[in-house]
Amino acid sequence: MRRDVVLRCEDVTAGYVHKPVVREANLEVRAGQIVTLIGPNGAGKSTLLKTIAGSLGKQGGAVYLVGKRLEELSVLEQARVRSVLLTERPRTELLTCCDVVRLGRQPHTGRFGTLSEIDQKAVRRAMELLQVEDLAEQQFMRLSDGQRQRVMLARALCQDPRLLVLDEPTSYLDIRYQIELYDVLRSIVAEGKLGIVMTLHELTLARQVSDWVACIKDGVVVAQGTPQEVFTSAVIDDLYDLEPGSFDPLTGAISIGCRAERMPEGGASHEAT
Amino acid sequence: MINGGTRRVRSLRTTVVIAGLAALFVALATANLCVGSMAIAPNDLVAALCSSDRTGTVAQVVWSIRLPRLIAAGLLGAALALAGVLLQTFFNNPLAGPYVLGISSGAKLAVAVLMVAVMSRAGIVTSWMSIGAATLGSFAVTAFILLVSERVRSANTLVVAGVMVGYMCGAATDFLVTFAGDASIVNLRNWSMGSFSGTSWDDVRTMAVVVIASSIAVFCLAKPLGAYQLGEAYAQSMGVNVRVFRKAIIVLSSLLSACVTAFAGPISFVGIAVPHVAKRLLGTSRPSAVLPATFLGGADFCLMCDLIARTAFAPTEMSVSAVTALFGAPVVIWVLLGKQEHAREV
Repeated sequence: MRRDVVLRCEDVTAGYVHKPVVREANLEVRAGQIVTLIGPNGAGKSTLLKTIAGSLGKQGGAVYLVGKRLEELSVLEQARVRSVLLTERPRTELLTCCDVVRLGRQPHTGRFGTLSEIDQKAVRRAMELLQVEDLAEQQFMRLSDGQRQRVMLARALCQDPRLLVLDEPTSYLDIRYQIELYDVLRSIVAEGKLGIVMTLHELTLARQVSDWVACIKDGVVVAQGTPQEVFTSAVIDDLYDLEPGSFDPLTGAISIGCRAERMPEGGASHEAT
Repeated sequence: MINGGTRRVRSLRTTVVIAGLAALFVALATANLCVGSMAIAPNDLVAALCSSDRTGTVAQVVWSIRLPRLIAAGLLGAALALAGVLLQTFFNNPLAGPYVLGISSGAKLAVAVLMVAVMSRAGIVTSWMSIGAATLGSFAVTAFILLVSERVRSANTLVVAGVMVGYMCGAATDFLVTFAGDASIVNLRNWSMGSFSGTSWDDVRTMAVVVIASSIAVFCLAKPLGAYQLGEAYAQSMGVNVRVFRKAIIVLSSLLSACVTAFAGPISFVGIAVPHVAKRLLGTSRPSAVLPATFLGGADFCLMCDLIARTAFAPTEMSVSAVTALFGAPVVIWVLLGKQEHAREV
């Protein structure tokens, strides 16, 4: 199993010119690893993730993608090693699911985007892994949210990345799909070829699916470590400004009662950043 | 399953649709050449087209009136439809098009200013001059619409803003027409209504260069256009250099719609209607199928509308734009209804 570093953030300061949202963040993702960013809304999780995804510039520090500085790679070179799943919902008119997944092969095809035998095999494999073969000829716009998320993930996967960036992959999904997503993500990294970095609201899921968790509060990575290290009452209570003892590290549950109005939970809520 | 029968059926469908549109083009072209104030029998037409003798009445009508007009209608219709596809993809808005977003009106105003300015000094407006002016006008409006689109996320607000810009440019043009000198007024009024009449071979040559070159460039953008259907952020993540791509789209769509306005005046609804009908016929919105079908469909649509404009109330000629609106506007309503239905599904 290869264990090379696919993403390294060194003292990354990111956000907007006069208002850095994230300050001096350090983070590392290795192949075969799932790294999750958690923290309250507006803390800067999404900002850091957008910087990693290349859709937002940074003010300081360095982002290394498979060992090369982000600035040294062209848009196309980046696309060959990194793919993303965003929170925005694409409106695709009359594209079938298969059409959408095939778009993921674009960075590997020629000027006219014709798919070779290898490309088609990659499309098939990704669709099998995410169990969307049966949806292949259905219109993308007619699917449920959970099915769309799977198709978009199959697209990101057949792009053949070393780093997969997922922004709130559970938003819009009900509990059943969240559990399925857990299985899917673990099977994606199982081969050890690629690493995943993502943001999550659901602490329970984050704790179970992640190999490494980074806590972001007020734009600073305040703590990071294995789930066992991070999911302690001290760290989580402080991260979300909860009353001491609200988070139970044994069950992963947060006791409701005191200061419940400040609870950051809830899959449907969006980050303000 | 993925590479099985369904995919083959779909590519067969694409072939059939494109071949059908091409056959329709031939039929409409023949009708356009034969029908008119002077009816020409098909065998006379073939004789006129084949012989090198261009002195006969039939040959004159065919070669110096109907044929250049036919080619102009085909090329400019194709240009408008392609500009519509580009704008719809770019703004991720099914209602975008050069006419609705006011781009045609901007081009029209710029050409009107040019005409009045040049003719008041007794100069002659060349076709390249009007294309230049129209392109400047298109760019100005497109830039404004881009500014609006960055501030508002709502697709409908964007369209309303475009329609308003169109009205403003239209009012300014009317103002110019009212105060233009006698010599230029006839010319200006005819042209500002939208018409393919009076196209010369010189015009045809110029528009062929611009439209064909731009269309080839558009066909080369089929791949990034496909990625762009998922939105700008996803397109970039799949290797599209968004900054370059955006510029290319703006330049090409402005150039295509400017070329139409420069030669035929503003022509409505082709840019919106044709791409939608093409997508429905094809059953897909993949650019590799949509672009050629739209190109042919735009040509067919304008040939049909020009034929109707010429012959419906002959000898009085209607403005082409009125005919295209008559057929195009219902398509827009149909699209809006489809959107509602979809919103209910979700």
